[in-house]
Amino acid sequence: MTKTGLAKTGMIDFRGVNKWFGTLNVLKDITLSVEPREVVVVCGPSGSGKSTLIRCVNGLEAIKDGDLVVDGQRLGDPATNMTQLRTEIGFVFQSFNLYPHKTALENVTLAPIHVRKIPRAEAEKAGRELLAKVGLADKVNAYPAQLSGGQQQRVAIARCLGMRPKIMLFDEPTSALDPEMISEVLDVMVAVAEEGMTMMVVTHEMGFARKVAQRVVFMDAGAIVESGTPEEFFSHPKTDRSRAFLSKILRH
Amino acid sequence: MIWQQLQSLAGSYPLALRGLGMTVMLSLISLVLGTLLGFGLGILRTGGNRLISGLIGAWVDLIRGTPFLVQIFLIFFILPEFGIELDAFTAGIIALTNLAACFICEIVVAGIRSVPTGQVEAALASGLSRWQRMRQVVLPQAMRIVLPPLVGQYVLLIKDSSVVSAIGLTDLTRVGWLVVQRVPNGLLVFFLVGVGYFIVCYPLIMLARRLEQRMGAAHGEVQL
Repeated sequence: MTKTGLAKTGMIDFRGVNKWFGTLNVLKDITLSVEPREVVVVCGPSGSGKSTLIRCVNGLEAIKDGDLVVDGQRLGDPATNMTQLRTEIGFVFQSFNLYPHKTALENVTLAPIHVRKIPRAEAEKAGRELLAKVGLADKVNAYPAQLSGGQQQRVAIARCLGMRPKIMLFDEPTSALDPEMISEVLDVMVAVAEEGMTMMVVTHEMGFARKVAQRVVFMDAGAIVESGTPEEFFSHPKTDRSRAFLSKILRH
Repeated sequence: MIWQQLQSLAGSYPLALRGLGMTVMLSLISLVLGTLLGFGLGILRTGGNRLISGLIGAWVDLIRGTPFLVQIFLIFFILPEFGIELDAFTAGIIALTNLAACFICEIVVAGIRSVPTGQVEAALASGLSRWQRMRQVVLPQAMRIVLPPLVGQYVLLIKDSSVVSAIGLTDLTRVGWLVVQRVPNGLLVFFLVGVGYFIVCYPLIMLARRLEQRMGAAHGEVQL
């Protein structure tokens, strides 16, 4: 544990975080605290920095200045073991990123066996249970190419759960899916949220946000413009930008 | 006259066999060592350390950009000037291994770079160490791209091994030179030398073709 010199922190604590891609200020003075067991939905127009925001949490992107403290450990601190910290954080990608040369079960058990050093038999038992939990008991030995997008994304979620993480991050988990497959993935995410997982979810699925999120964060041009409960945000958006955004995504 | 020549050639049979053995031995040892070294260099080249990567890149360019004959002469004739005595066989192995490693390094680098970044990110996000990411996620996927050109490269390297006859190793090519002094029919002798190389290389050519076909067939299954 790294002493941060800061007061009691949340599970994920952004304090004045800035990030640039070249001269582009992709994250502007972000301050945001996510409590344990809280589900925060991050939304906003394309290019607003929401994916970058959650990619910073497990260090897929490095921050330029400010403090980002995750599970009590400050990112970028030499005392923080990033590889270790990542084992506590599940990350679900828009494009699934399953390992194509491994079966569904092997995808789920790879990190538990090699990182957590869990005996293979035990990891496989747990892996089968997780795949059953996401509704894929019969796809244990299937390769990703043999699965639909929705099934692949559910394997990807099971892969994260296999590590028993404290935090799960979702980067537009349903954006690459055909419409009829979105709900099967959202149902799994709802179940994970209801078990008390700390989650940050980049999504435009407002039904999901209403159902499980404690908070919706709206980003535009790299800054957090508005933040509130789903009810407040959807019914009474406070800024012009959030109103314009909502009118676009809720039109259809 | 041709009858006499053929008889004389038949008498050279043991020498030819020795030459073939030398060519196979040289190729086998240097291809195994070169493959190991080439994979090591390829992995280091893509490892993110700019200095190491740059040095390997420069070395590979240097070796690829100079004739193999010159490299062999440098190793065999120049190194002794610095007190490093090498017999011809060791010099040949070193030169061929180095050449193989450099070409294979480039093939491995191309394979590693063909693996989508999302794969590395997924492995990174689940806490796999650098070596685990390479071993479990990147290399198995890179192999699909690497294998066909790798086997093709083996064929080229077996043929390049003929250059070691220049430092006096009695390989297949040198046997040709020796025999042609007794049997003055260059066309016939070197035709047979060519047949010798072809016998060694053809199975590999077939293997490379099969691997390419298999990869082409499997390509539709690759998730990007």
